[in-house]
Amino acid sequence: MGKVFVIDIAKCNGCYNCQIACKDEYVGNDWTPYAKPQPDTGHFWTGIEEIERGTIPKVKVAYIPHICQHCDDAPCIPACREKAIYKREDGLVIIDPVKCTGDRNCIDACPYGAIFFNWDLNISQKCTGCAHLIDEGWKEPRCVEVCPTEALKFGDEVDFASSISVGAPLIPDTGTKPRVYYLNIPGKFIAGAVYDPEDDRCIKGAEVVLQNIVANEESNTVTDIFGDFWFENLKVADYRILINKDGYLARTIEPIVNTRDLNLGDIGLYRSSSAQISK
Amino acid sequence: MPEQRQKQKQKVPVSDAKKEKQCIKGMGFASFGQNGNPAIVEVKDGKIIRIRPFYYDAKYNPEKFNPWSIEARGISFSPPMRTLQTPHGLAYKKRVYSPNRILYPMKRVDWDPDGERNTQNRGKSGYVRISWDEALEMIVSEIKRVREKYGPYAIFLQGDGHGETKVVHGAHGCHTLLFRSIGTGEFTVQNRNSDSWEGWFWGAKHVWGMEHFGLETPATNIFQDVAENTDMMLFIGCDPETTPWGWQGQMASKACYWLSELGIKSVYICPDLNYGAAVHADKWIPIKPNTDAAMHLAIAYIWIREGSYDKEYVRTHTYGFEDFKDYVMGKEDGIAKTPKWAAEITGIPARTIIALAEEWACKRTSIAHGNGGSYIRGPYSSEPARLEVLLLAMQGVGKPGIHQVPFVGWGAMFELDRMPWPVSLSNVIMWPTHRGNTSVRSLPKQFIPKLFIHDAILNPPVSWYSTTLWSAKTENQFVKYTYPEEGCSEIHLMWSDSPCLMTCWNDSNKFVEAYRSEKIECMIVQHPWLENDCLFADIILPVNTKFEEEDIGSDPVSGLYNCIWLEKQCIEPIGESKSDYEIACMVAEKLGIYEKFTEGKSIQDWIKTAFENANVSHMVSWEELVKNEYWVVPTNPEWKKQPRGIYNFYKEPGKNPLDTPSGKIEFYSQNLAKHFPDDKERPPVPHWIPYGESHQESLECERAKKYPMLVVSNHPRWGVHAMHDDISWLREIKTCKIKGIDGYQYHTAWIHPEDAARRNIADGDIVKIYNERGAVLCGAWLTERIIPGSISVDHGAKYDPVVTGELDRGGAINTITPHNPLSKNASGMATSGFLVEIERVNLDELHKLYPEAMKRPFHKDAGPIFSAFTFGGKSNG
Repeated sequence: MGKVFVIDIAKCNGCYNCQIACKDEYVGNDWTPYAKPQPDTGHFWTGIEEIERGTIPKVKVAYIPHICQHCDDAPCIPACREKAIYKREDGLVIIDPVKCTGDRNCIDACPYGAIFFNWDLNISQKCTGCAHLIDEGWKEPRCVEVCPTEALKFGDEVDFASSISVGAPLIPDTGTKPRVYYLNIPGKFIAGAVYDPEDDRCIKGAEVVLQNIVANEESNTVTDIFGDFWFENLKVADYRILINKDGYLARTIEPIVNTRDLNLGDIGLYRSSSAQISK
Repeated sequence: MPEQRQKQKQKVPVSDAKKEKQCIKGMGFASFGQNGNPAIVEVKDGKIIRIRPFYYDAKYNPEKFNPWSIEARGISFSPPMRTLQTPHGLAYKKRVYSPNRILYPMKRVDWDPDGERNTQNRGKSGYVRISWDEALEMIVSEIKRVREKYGPYAIFLQGDGHGETKVVHGAHGCHTLLFRSIGTGEFTVQNRNSDSWEGWFWGAKHVWGMEHFGLETPATNIFQDVAENTDMMLFIGCDPETTPWGWQGQMASKACYWLSELGIKSVYICPDLNYGAAVHADKWIPIKPNTDAAMHLAIAYIWIREGSYDKEYVRTHTYGFEDFKDYVMGKEDGIAKTPKWAAEITGIPARTIIALAEEWACKRTSIAHGNGGSYIRGPYSSEPARLEVLLLAMQGVGKPGIHQVPFVGWGAMFELDRMPWPVSLSNVIMWPTHRGNTSVRSLPKQFIPKLFIHDAILNPPVSWYSTTLWSAKTENQFVKYTYPEEGCSEIHLMWSDSPCLMTCWNDSNKFVEAYRSEKIECMIVQHPWLENDCLFADIILPVNTKFEEEDIGSDPVSGLYNCIWLEKQCIEPIGESKSDYEIACMVAEKLGIYEKFTEGKSIQDWIKTAFENANVSHMVSWEELVKNEYWVVPTNPEWKKQPRGIYNFYKEPGKNPLDTPSGKIEFYSQNLAKHFPDDKERPPVPHWIPYGESHQESLECERAKKYPMLVVSNHPRWGVHAMHDDISWLREIKTCKIKGIDGYQYHTAWIHPEDAARRNIADGDIVKIYNERGAVLCGAWLTERIIPGSISVDHGAKYDPVVTGELDRGGAINTITPHNPLSKNASGMATSGFLVEIERVNLDELHKLYPEAMKRPFHKDAGPIFSAFTFGGKSNG
């Protein structure tokens, strides 16, 4: 039965347990025929990528766990001259550490950068899905067992049908049919804080409209008590923001190109003349 | 060898060394016998294969221990069946096999007990190998000589550093037990001043008592209450994704996700987007380090001005509000503590303070705490701590949804009322049997709080208030002590285990001067790793890790299930290492007091004694424990009946008075007014105190012109205090270390790009962080996660002197922390929120300037190593 991984980015707290447990399992331990020992440092068969998003004070951090994607159309398999890479019945992809002669073609072939070269042993190495443990009856590989928040899950395909249906590949369009399904891969955010510079007060309840000029789409939100607004999971596009609040002059911010997460900073709204009169 | 000694040496035979085995080991690092977070260590052929979570249900049906679940807002929360390990524990194999392990006893090359002692060369000269016999002979003869010449109080024992958590084997002061067996048991002991929660201890206790920590106590069922009733949670200087790790594992992380799921807004107020804020914050309010008191005052100002506080509660539950009001509104000093006033100090826009105050006034708000950092560990941290409690009081603390919520210190110091999760039937404790430091149980006549050691050696006499121990009650803060105590000698022989003054204490460059004093004729240090204060010793003894010994452990702190287990020996000791307890036994034998010291008990006997003293023997038999190797304490079926925090005080303050003179929350502390009427640094009503007699560490000081950056120094993410710094797998993480062009991994400093640009610092550059107390080298990490004008450097990096006492390469930021205590009469330390300047360094020039130190061998992935300091020494691995 096919095994899959499901990785929920929204649940990853960045503790690095998975990366460390992988090293604990493979550094200094020889699991031939599954894997020879991993070098002490420099290899990340399970590796956390840290992405700092935004600018102060609108900053978030995304942690993305990377592992071999155990693709069903794994490009590493045909790339290997020695046919050292094979797919198991359960879907896990293994580099035979004895057959591997270190031609390194697999490293270039992998679109995920999941294969590392061991210069001491002259072999390519990567995540095995802890196949040696699974074959011994373990339910999960080390990285999954130590994940405190269940951001990493592993199991039979049939048990993860709903996650698989909404999960996405880490990199779109590689066409390699990965067996790792990611949930909540963050898109870009656009955020800002709306305030009244004359009164020096945060403006709560301002309506903020975000227009995607390219796709001609619109979404809206309302500022919170701090005057903050966040639009999350955005595609990269050209945007325009319209801000409205009763008693204030409307404000438009454009063009906004969000090639990265954007903190638009403090956005002042000035009172409209009628408001000033009534005051 | 006496019979008992023979018996003591009998360990569980490692005859099955060739076979695979599983051992349970506690991976809590709180030490002092208080373990937590058990793990399974799998061993094969005498080698550690892996460390993995422990499963509560491995040998017991969960029904046996009554699994708990909290239901709130339609969502239930329950602990998992396996422990929530941390990277510190999972990577611990690297610590056991570290190239920095001390492999055999050593003597400083130029220390001659019969000739020149060259105390001035401590921290400079290297070591030569000696035999255990030689080491023991030297130690015993020095002990005898010093006792004869100066009397028993000349022996100074330090045993409260940051070491492993063991029960029978120490660490932390097995030698204090030993000296209690010599004659009438006289010696001088180092008292571990209450560290990590300074503000609560020296400030909040004067507002509302709350023994022992100054935080809302009891803390029972606070999570249940918060889950049901709280709207907003403030994390003020609190990192739930860092400080809990070393003690409790990762339950705090799960709790944070759960609180968010319940719809509770998480607002983080801290100079850095700490690891908790990075993933859990709904709102991050960056604040300049150690300026929180000004924010608190502005919030009080708004509430008083708007009348948006609980006037009835203040009338019935508090004392001295008018004095506080006068100060806040400016009647006392002519300065109204307006949001605008606070904005300039804190760096938080006035409008944000107003918005926060307004929200807080209308939403049920609790405050989360995790110890550490500049909020609670800075100069004058008594003030923000006191002010926070007063703000909570103004909104009716103890009411449903309004609490201080602890994220660390669950079940701290074995106190069941510090457990905010459903309590178990017993707080399974090892404390009574722990063979380590006994000073908490009873103090010898002469003691020195850890933060005054340098002053005590260099400039006696020294006086201070309180024993400073965590267990010291509030009234003890008005008792004055002096060193040397009348009739006692100054100290002349230091014996230390698991030392970490250089890494974790105050103005630790000053300790170098103290350690080099001629007064200290002999300095003995024992530790598994050649790190930190070890480098100043005359005699170094190799200690083994807990994996190399048989012991027992218990977990009353993880927040999952209380548990007791037997710790089998995993592997043979590395090199010639012994446990702290075994070392004390060997010295006892030489002194002819072995029987008295061991009470005739073998290690196995002590393990059984620990079980008998653990508060569980009425529920489980020794035989069952031996058979299953662990036992899970059932959840108390009545757990819901425990009070929810101080709800009872809220409900009936008269019947449930607090530990204050008025029995109420004191805006005006009658005790402080009585005992320290003229103290401008901790007046009866808490104040914003930027600087004063004790400290000039604020941007408002003249000093700030020269040192314009404020350091926030948190508890380390990638270690527990001074521990774990040599783990190569952690050092690969960029927030842990940054590799310089010379291949050395420098400790990471968080710097905002604006500050970096002004100083021509690029990401990855090596920088010097300095003030008049010295300089520390770090790797620059440019990040938006820190407020401009501040840098963040975790404490705990291994001390690696370039110029001993002046320039450190390892990143031990505490070498340049403030010298003086929290304030004049508050004997805590101030190790975060202090002034420095930073500049880019040219590594080539440093290598030219200090060729010897900079060329000292180091492990490319593990840092400073054993062999670099030992002549002819070869490192482990």
